[in-house]
Amino acid sequence: MQNFIDAYSWINLRFLLEGMWVTIYVSAISVVLSFIIGAVLGLIRYMKIKYLSAVIGLIIDIIRNLPLLLIIFFMYFGLPSTFGIRLNTVTAAIVALTVFESAMLAEIIRGGIQSISGGQMEAARSNGLTYLQAMWYIILPQAFRNMVPPIVSQFVSLVKDSSLATIILLPELMYHSQIIYGQNTNYMIPMFVAMAFLYFVVCFLLSQLSKALARRLN
Amino acid sequence: MSMIEFHDVNKYYGKFKALKNINLTIERGEVVTIIGPSGSGKSTLLRTINGLELISSGQLLVDNHDLADPKTDMNRIRKNVGMVFQHFNLYANKTILQNITLGPEKVLKMSHVKAAEDAERLLSLVGLLDQAQKLPSMLSGGQKQRIAIARALAMHPKAILFDEPTSALDPEVIGDVLEVMKKVADQGMTMIVVTHEMGFAKEVGNRLVFMADGEIREDSNDPRAFFEAPKDPRAQEFLGKIIHVD
Ligand SMILES: Nc1ncnc2c1ncn2[C@@H]1O[C@H](COP(=O)(O)OP(=O)(O)OP(=O)(O)O)[C@@H](O)[C@H]1O
Ligand SMILES: [Mg+2]
Repeated sequence: MQNFIDAYSWINLRFLLEGMWVTIYVSAISVVLSFIIGAVLGLIRYMKIKYLSAVIGLIIDIIRNLPLLLIIFFMYFGLPSTFGIRLNTVTAAIVALTVFESAMLAEIIRGGIQSISGGQMEAARSNGLTYLQAMWYIILPQAFRNMVPPIVSQFVSLVKDSSLATIILLPELMYHSQIIYGQNTNYMIPMFVAMAFLYFVVCFLLSQLSKALARRLN
Repeated sequence: MSMIEFHDVNKYYGKFKALKNINLTIERGEVVTIIGPSGSGKSTLLRTINGLELISSGQLLVDNHDLADPKTDMNRIRKNVGMVFQHFNLYANKTILQNITLGPEKVLKMSHVKAAEDAERLLSLVGLLDQAQKLPSMLSGGQKQRIAIARALAMHPKAILFDEPTSALDPEVIGDVLEVMKKVADQGMTMIVVTHEMGFAKEVGNRLVFMADGEIREDSNDPRAFFEAPKDPRAQEFLGKIIHVD
């Protein structure tokens, strides 16, 4: 018990919250970027544009089948040695998460659109609507409704996955708590508990926020 | 000026020939019933008329526009040719009223007020004015199909295609839908109806087309006479299998 009281000293808590802030910050930017990119890629995949859709599909499949850790390594260590591009830890983490999550979201979005029966499109076209009008007024709103739960859970994974960037010393929640219990191993369990709590809070708030946003858009 | 003209039309799905040398001219105001066994190409024929399927060869004129001509604006054809589907395909994310007003507002650029007035008139015609604010999922099949007909009518089309409009319905509500279709026919609408409702074919239809194996085997201007004495052997066999021919 004493371990917990000591571990949760003001200075340690502040250090943890600083880490949590980086987690939130990196995740939020990655969520927004990967949603936009994933939506565009998912639409292109769905529309079966000659060559383009197939090429993008191949890239998405490759990315989805790589460990995220490898992508993070690549952005941080690989880019400088192969292309001479040097990213700081925050940028490298954001780029890696965005690349990975865009691929995941593109598949969710494509699947969501495909799940709306062809009959809806045929009816809209027979009604005189153009392809784009049919997509905008009929297909996408229905697809979006179906996609909200998988997208939200993908966002939640993203927050949790951001902890992998601890490997490139991104000063996020996981990394900061490791520093704390690295100095005093008695703090290990209290730090695990604190992390569990903080990740839960962030993920829970994120999912509530996304759902509220989705309801408003509907 | 005929409404629809098929001249030597063929349609392939890959190597499979779904429509064989179709010649068919439909005048304005005609109510044509198409019957035939499953897989005979009835839906395919219907769907070529509004460009949901493209023909492989031959000529297809709809309202004097050549559908094979790349200059033909398919959206304009579809604006003038409505379609009613077996499975209704009402817009699941729109209310009944919105299902009817969407086309007029977005395609015909009608004002919202005018479109809603029109829609209410059509809802009364099909007897469902009280359902205007509901979502399609709350309606029965028969009600959905009557809304689908109202949605097609709202575009003031020159012709309406019906693909087995009553096949997915419970027997007791088929009559309601057929009654609405009869009203539409009485208003002089050009209608092409794929159906196995022989009563409709005889009483409302003034032309009967029998298809088998992608071909038009019989084309009669007297549906009653056709049902009494079909000439084509496949038609005789087909009618023999249908239980109620009353
Ligand atoms: N998209 C498609 N691709 C390949 N073959 C198709 C396609 N659509 C239809 N067919 C084939 O074309 C033939 C005619 O089909 P169609 O749907 O026009 O028949 P139908 O007379 O409407 O039959 P049913 O009474 O069962 O609705 C069938 O053999 C069908 O398998
Ligand atoms: Mg059919």
